[in-house]
Amino acid sequence: MATCKMPLLDVRGLKMYYSTLKGDVKAVDGVRLQMEKGGSLGLAGESGCGKTTLALSIMRLLPWNGRIVDGSILFDGVDISEMDEKIFTRDYRWKRMSYVFQGAMNALNPVFRVGDQIAEAILIHESVKKKEAMDRARELFGLVGIDPDRTASYPHELSGGMKQRVMIAMALACNPDFIIADEPTTALDVIVQAQTLQVINDLRKKLGLTMMLITHDLSVVAETCTTCAIMYAGKIVEYADIETIFTNPAHPYTKALISAFPSIKEERRELESISGAPPNLLNPPTGCRFNPRCPYRMDVCTREEPEYVDLGGGHFAACHLLD
Amino acid sequence: MDSEGLELKVVDLKKWFPVRKGFVSSLLSRKTEYVKAVDGVSFEVEKGEIFGLAGESGCGKTTTGKTILRLLEPTGGEVYFQGQDILDLGKSEMKRMRQKMQIIYQDPYESINPRMTVSDIISEPINIHNLADTPSEKEEMIHKVLRDVELAPPEEFIQRFPHELSGGQRQRVAVARTLIMQPSFVVADEPISMLDVSIRAGILKVMLRSREVRGITYIFITHDLAYARHICHRGAIMYLGKIVEMAPMDVLVKNPLHPYTVALMTAVPVPDPRLEHARAIIGGEVPTPINPPSGCRFHPRCPKATDICSREEPEIVEIENGHYVACHKVI
Repeated sequence: MATCKMPLLDVRGLKMYYSTLKGDVKAVDGVRLQMEKGGSLGLAGESGCGKTTLALSIMRLLPWNGRIVDGSILFDGVDISEMDEKIFTRDYRWKRMSYVFQGAMNALNPVFRVGDQIAEAILIHESVKKKEAMDRARELFGLVGIDPDRTASYPHELSGGMKQRVMIAMALACNPDFIIADEPTTALDVIVQAQTLQVINDLRKKLGLTMMLITHDLSVVAETCTTCAIMYAGKIVEYADIETIFTNPAHPYTKALISAFPSIKEERRELESISGAPPNLLNPPTGCRFNPRCPYRMDVCTREEPEYVDLGGGHFAACHLLD
Repeated sequence: MDSEGLELKVVDLKKWFPVRKGFVSSLLSRKTEYVKAVDGVSFEVEKGEIFGLAGESGCGKTTTGKTILRLLEPTGGEVYFQGQDILDLGKSEMKRMRQKMQIIYQDPYESINPRMTVSDIISEPINIHNLADTPSEKEEMIHKVLRDVELAPPEEFIQRFPHELSGGQRQRVAVARTLIMQPSFVVADEPISMLDVSIRAGILKVMLRSREVRGITYIFITHDLAYARHICHRGAIMYLGKIVEMAPMDVLVKNPLHPYTVALMTAVPVPDPRLEHARAIIGGEVPTPINPPSGCRFHPRCPKATDICSREEPEIVEIENGHYVACHKVI
């Protein structure tokens, strides 16, 4: 899907399962995705659809019971899914690709000064002196809009918005070219959310970063990204540029998600919900995984899994209605 | 507004929480500091109305909701429910009153007891308030309310435990527990913020239908202005324990006057990439309510602030019909 000539990130048919006592949870089940250098992709979907698992697989930060069953991940042409852990740690994780973790409130270590925590990341990956690493930490604070003197603060002395900025600064510590931001604004208040998104947007342009933004909030995607992938039950069901997703969605799930989403700019209306709940990924429905909740379900939907249909202009959707 | 159609009238409501001090500092100074969570809030809610109380975290919206129901005892002010001063009521009278005044909590993972079945959870209020004479009547009531919140068929849910329900279903149980008492007034404290977007509208629909069928009046507490816009008839914006602006929802969204409301409205992300809207994002974050800024509490962050704003606290004034603003620069 989405044909780039020289993709920076190329996820090829990735399947990632968690083993549990009850069987395999098919959290990511055949994801194809490409990202061009300098692009910003919004990965959106409900909780439990596999967004974070996909991102953690790319960073190779999966918990012990998670394993890649099939497929590969290419970063800048190199297969990183099979790579030796030592080489990946040395050359890729945090150096070329980094991660802004969900829940900045709890992601920082409460007993260390925030500046030291950033310097630690630099010292692990680069052969520099502590002093240089601290200088770099101060510089990064300036970049994300915090007073450099706050590097001496402990996490509890910072507000939620500042902690989130520290997390962004930490992700930028080793000058990566690819960054995954996992729900970076979810726990923040609306004004602080707007401030944080602005910081992310500015930095992306200034540093030429390629970014994957994971969120359940379509309005955040609309304001931040250029392309969007909608994920449902471990699969990407639709992929397009941001305007197409909102003005001309093809998949019934995307359509339903958009009409469930309120906008402050539109007139008062009745909001629509999607009946039912996302499926249990231990035993996902056969055929199209959305079929139990889909208003347009046909016989074929319960039998056969839909293939991606190329709708032109980089717009792909997996639905039998489009066959 | 005539008092006939008034469901709730809140006058100068205050809730201060004393700040606990260490042993040494309590020896050194006698003065107790307070978190002024709610500091002089007044508003009226008409019968059958959905009144939105919105603001960022820590602005005092939840405390306001709980104080109105006397789940927290107010520090000062008056609350009239259907014309009656409820702060005067004794314990047993208040208990009777509570049947009519209810609350729906934010988190259905915490608000319902994991060791009780759905049937136990919903029968508890029936038992406390003696709402049913016979066991069969009770069962009938439970079945009916479960159908009302769209947990059908009721037989399938009645013996389940909360862990056997999805988040949306849990919140429906919480709503059912509220509706079973036939309340006339409900404080809904962020009832959908813990739920997935795709199922939020379903919960709201159940609430809205109960308003239509039973004429329930709602106070809808939320930090999400986009939802408030589609649910509420009127809304109030709170900042550090005070209402800064109050108006019909349409006016609040289209013609906000207080600089804080303006900042909030422009900060709300819009799910439409075609709308390029100018962003004037204000800096800073909400300060601590222990020692709120002097004068207008918003002045340190306000782009329009002048001298007077740091000296004098602005009164809340009716600018036009039903549109109240507390700002020196607007009046």
